[in-house]
Amino acid sequence: MKESSRYNRQTILPEIGEEGQQKLLKSKVLVIGAGGLGTAILPYLAGAGVGEIGIVDDDVIDVSNLHRQVIYKTSAVGKSKVEEAKLMISELNPEIKVNTFSEKLSGKNAISLFEKYDIIVDATDNISIKYLINDACLATDKPMVYGSIFRFQGQVSVFNYQNGPTYRCLYPDENSNALNCEDAGVIGISVGIIGMFQANEVLKMILGIGEVLSGKILVYNTLKNEQQKYDFDKSDAQNISRESFEEKYNKAEVEEISFESIFEEIDDDNVLFLDVRNEDELPKISLKNKVQIPLINLESEIEKLNKDQIFYVFCQSGIRSKIAVELLQKYQFKSAKSIAGGALTMKNILKEEKI
Amino acid sequence: MIEVKYFGAVAEKTKCEFEKLSFSEELSLQKLLQDLNGKYDFESLTFSVAVNQKIVSKASDYTLQTSDVVALLPPFAGG
Repeated sequence: MKESSRYNRQTILPEIGEEGQQKLLKSKVLVIGAGGLGTAILPYLAGAGVGEIGIVDDDVIDVSNLHRQVIYKTSAVGKSKVEEAKLMISELNPEIKVNTFSEKLSGKNAISLFEKYDIIVDATDNISIKYLINDACLATDKPMVYGSIFRFQGQVSVFNYQNGPTYRCLYPDENSNALNCEDAGVIGISVGIIGMFQANEVLKMILGIGEVLSGKILVYNTLKNEQQKYDFDKSDAQNISRESFEEKYNKAEVEEISFESIFEEIDDDNVLFLDVRNEDELPKISLKNKVQIPLINLESEIEKLNKDQIFYVFCQSGIRSKIAVELLQKYQFKSAKSIAGGALTMKNILKEEKI
Repeated sequence: MIEVKYFGAVAEKTKCEFEKLSFSEELSLQKLLQDLNGKYDFESLTFSVAVNQKIVSKASDYTLQTSDVVALLPPFAGG
């Protein structure tokens, strides 16, 4: 096999050439979703020689996927979509590096994943994930290639391209509901067409040719062969920084812990038990490493505490202590947990231990 | 006379993909949207609104002109 001729039919295009081919081979594209749109996009990115392709999907192949997700084989039903997609790509073009992520995209993994790629492709079937992708693209300054389907209609756009308008500029109302393919029904050709439009935008951006669908949404109707483009502007209210992304998606959850499980640690000097009840509340809990700061005073007295200590926070029943832990997390305390059941539960355990 | 185009789930509600509407007195975009909502009951459907291929704020005080084309574009979710 003559590898040098692999890309010949596209490099003879004056818009691409050897220079364009090098751009493709150096580019890194992350495709989120290996369903109908993803399986239409992936073979064309791989075939064209996009050098590094990441695929995110935690799903396995179901027989009901095969009518539209045509890169998969019937014999692969039950197998991981990302692994099967990787297999297909490596057979089509072994020059490509493929990274698979068999996991759900979330606020926790989005930023670190997106950072490693140049272009993010939204091939998902879920509105809330689209907002997540949009926000993570804003936080990492990556363009997002959007595609979605409703029955015989599809939408395509490119968001956050060179600081252009975003998904939130087009659809500011996050609490919208729209049917996915499972609920609305779809044929493979519709997702194929829209996926192909998305792959085309990816290549245009890499090559720097044509007009990218930035600030425009393309709406395609496969039954009528009609397409329309609508312009939209950037709205200044929709900026997302890394900090606001973390605040929105990764607000630390308060971890609860049982007193029994930490009983061994009560004399450990690295540990501090923090009682956030008022001083007149009963039962009194006496522990060697304990301080009492009522919740209402905690923020003003927070500098008295050592952020590197391990904090076990309690109140009467375990409600105020959670609020206190949130406060400690806000001030970047390294380890703070709330004791479930509070002083009432602790008193019982302390009594038992004394007998 | 203006034309209103419907897409996606909005067209499912209206049971048509476009319609032509005539109006005698001055008609604002807001009033048109109110009237359509009264007629079709869009309920919880979310959509953006375009006038002559340009997405505009639903709260804009635009007065519709003869031969304007309005489009109601809901987000799609399939993939």
